[in-house]
Amino acid sequence: MRLRASYITKNFGHRAIVKNVTIAVQPGEVVTIFGPNGAGKTTLIKILATLLRPTSGQLEIEGTDAIAHPLQVRSVLGAILHEPLAYTALSPYENLKFFGRMYGIAQLEQRCTTLLAEVGLSRFVHEPLHVFSRGMTQRFMIARALLHHPSVLLFDEPFSGLDAVAKEFVLRRIAQERQNGKGVVITTHSTELGYLAGTRFFFMVNGELEEVASKDEISSETLLHLYEDRLINRAPSA
Amino acid sequence: MKIVVKHSFKLQPKALVLSLTKNMKALRQIGSLIHKDLALQFRSKETLALIFVFSVLVVLIFAFAFGPIFPEKVERGKLTASVLWAAFIFAGIITLNRSFAVERSNGALHGIRLTGVDASNLYLSKVVSNLVFLSLLEVVITPIALQFLDLLDMVTVTMLLKLLGVLSLGTLGFCAVGVLLAGMSTSANGGESLLSVILLPLVFPIIMGGAKCTVSLLVTGGLDGGFWLKLLVGCSLVFLASAYLLADAVIEE
Repeated sequence: MRLRASYITKNFGHRAIVKNVTIAVQPGEVVTIFGPNGAGKTTLIKILATLLRPTSGQLEIEGTDAIAHPLQVRSVLGAILHEPLAYTALSPYENLKFFGRMYGIAQLEQRCTTLLAEVGLSRFVHEPLHVFSRGMTQRFMIARALLHHPSVLLFDEPFSGLDAVAKEFVLRRIAQERQNGKGVVITTHSTELGYLAGTRFFFMVNGELEEVASKDEISSETLLHLYEDRLINRAPSA
Repeated sequence: MKIVVKHSFKLQPKALVLSLTKNMKALRQIGSLIHKDLALQFRSKETLALIFVFSVLVVLIFAFAFGPIFPEKVERGKLTASVLWAAFIFAGIITLNRSFAVERSNGALHGIRLTGVDASNLYLSKVVSNLVFLSLLEVVITPIALQFLDLLDMVTVTMLLKLLGVLSLGTLGFCAVGVLLAGMSTSANGGESLLSVILLPLVFPIIMGGAKCTVSLLVTGGLDGGFWLKLLVGCSLVFLASAYLLADAVIEE
């Protein structure tokens, strides 16, 4: 088991943002969580990434208690959040080199060059990140998340703001990582892309997570129908 | 009566190697963090210009307000000490705010935490990088202040070195508390002004000890009595040790 979260709850003040969430991710599995804005997806991803401590519940990553020992499990996690998790005044190469040193990666220069070539940023290795478009930043974020060969990937809205080419690239990369035996968790609004990327699907509404089906059991049309029925109709009014 | 020793201390090579490896990794991480912080600080030309211009401006305002004919040496020593500490404390607050604003924007701090670095090591690296940056500022601004306040001719190289030592010691204590508070305040609304409000009362013993030592150096050439120096050293070390122990709670939570 790559990741197992049991009965995770997160309160901010008196408000419960994540309620009794239980989820498990096996090697080679891509779990897609669909949900509207404010459903608690980002909070859940941050908890799974050990960046937020849950109010209650258990979290196990690669067999280690991640709540008691967050520092021990972080080296097996690769995360993409809404922000680049990097320094925009530095170039992608400088950023990768810095984070690589922090992880203690061997043959770091070679790893950075290879990774930047893989995500299609070879021509921009020395440009500062603040001049990058959304798509280029997303490519960098993928390189940053994969730098240290993590076994668990947590992608929060990896398709948002991307054009068709960039979306295709992210989908291919997720498929590649799944084939490499990694456990992946994705959150998204897009049923189409989420269905293409995932192998097992969940809905998240008002902080509650509900398992829908695995890819073998459901078509994209049925998933879209269920999404409209269960999420849009039950979403909190603005 | 026969005494049975159940546990004896034995040298365990495996544990020793593990401990050394862990310490080496921590040192390498601290080194990388300091290198990155200094690279970012020196690359940000606007921040460099802002801090330098601000410090020079403080010196010039005092110099023009009290000049061009300055009072006797004792009064000049007191004035210069006030100018130097006022300039460095406010430049220090700007530096600390900028230093953490870079970490908070674009989620860079989350990125660092995900590498598994210990929060105490992250804290130490921030203290060292801010200390180095502010000490370099002090090396540049102190001779300018001495020149404008008509004291440069009377200051020997040894005195200047002692003066920079006192300023650095005060800066260490200032950074020890400042880094911890900047880590908390930059995530809050109006964090920049909040830092000044909560930091200055806390570092007051350091400012007091530092200013008195500076006056003593500029007027007598030595640190007579040593009480203020002891206060400066003691407060700096106590603040550093306490903040190091609290860093984990502040950064992780």
